[in-house]
Amino acid sequence: MKYSYIKPRKKSIISGELQLIFSFFSITLFMLFLTYAFLLFKDYRFAQNIQDIKQKMVELESSVQRMNSQITFIEKEVQLSERITTKNTVLKDSIANLFDLVPQRITLSQATLLKNGLILHGVTPNKDVYNFMLQAPLRSIFHRTYSSFYESQNGWLRFVSTNYIDEEELSLESPKYEEVKEVDDEN
Amino acid sequence: MKIKITKQSLYLLFFSIILLLFVLIFSFLVLIPEGKNYREQRSALNKEAMELRRYEEFADKTLQKLKELQSENTHIITSFDNAFNSTRFQKQFRSYFTSLELSKQEPLDDEDEFSVYEVNTTSSINSPQSFYNFLDAINKADWIIGVDFPIEFKRDHELISSSFTMRVYRSKKASQ
Repeated sequence: MKYSYIKPRKKSIISGELQLIFSFFSITLFMLFLTYAFLLFKDYRFAQNIQDIKQKMVELESSVQRMNSQITFIEKEVQLSERITTKNTVLKDSIANLFDLVPQRITLSQATLLKNGLILHGVTPNKDVYNFMLQAPLRSIFHRTYSSFYESQNGWLRFVSTNYIDEEELSLESPKYEEVKEVDDEN
Repeated sequence: MKIKITKQSLYLLFFSIILLLFVLIFSFLVLIPEGKNYREQRSALNKEAMELRRYEEFADKTLQKLKELQSENTHIITSFDNAFNSTRFQKQFRSYFTSLELSKQEPLDDEDEFSVYEVNTTSSINSPQSFYNFLDAINKADWIIGVDFPIEFKRDHELISSSFTMRVYRSKKASQ
């Protein structure tokens, strides 16, 4: 026997409203965990990036060191090359000056250039020409000058002139760079 | 007056309080410290990235300096790398002499990072000017060569016979 004209609806402990509320709760929790997961992920990525940067810095440092040592080496090469070039040029000028020093009346037969000296062999018409025109300028350049003469068949004199620069005196005349610098500092 | 609270409202209130408590505890104990950590990590990363950029700029400048040095001194660098070849030397410099002969190269003591070899030379020249020209030309040679003492010039009829020593420098890296 029916007591109502409408069909009875099913009753449940979780109603439609409650379901809606639960879904809001779930969304809240989901967003909360999502934020946490995002932070964790970002932290992990940051740590990884810092690690990568550090690795890259170590690589860069070693490459910079390598380049610096290459630069130092090239600079050394350039310095040495310039020193040798200057030495060759100075040598050329010294030889040219030596030959210019010999007057026309004296004829050289042999010239030996040493590190600290000069040996000349030649022929001179007489001792005076040699003494005034060759020995005098040689004396102004070298610290020790020795000459020996012997007569030639045509009446001229053959001579051997040995000239030396004393390295000790040379260092006194032109003090080393460090010594000059010290004097400058004191002033 | 009697307040009528349904069972559903009670559940709702209970879950809301639980959720609120959970959100508060989770936020204060986990999320906020983690956020702080995130901020610290981010600023540390920015700092490291800035440092890296500075270092990269420095490395770029060093590389540029190296390349400039290499391009400006190509001849010197290759000359130090070249091994001395007496046949090639004679070919290049024979024109300055009437005759030119070289002895076998002998190693001397190393100078810093360079190997040094000594080559004795005997030659004949027409005039001292030829020797001056040779000294100018040797500075542009394929090797780094310094003419060293003793240098001897001897009159030999119309010619001047000369003998001198040459020091050839080579970088140790190239000779290894």
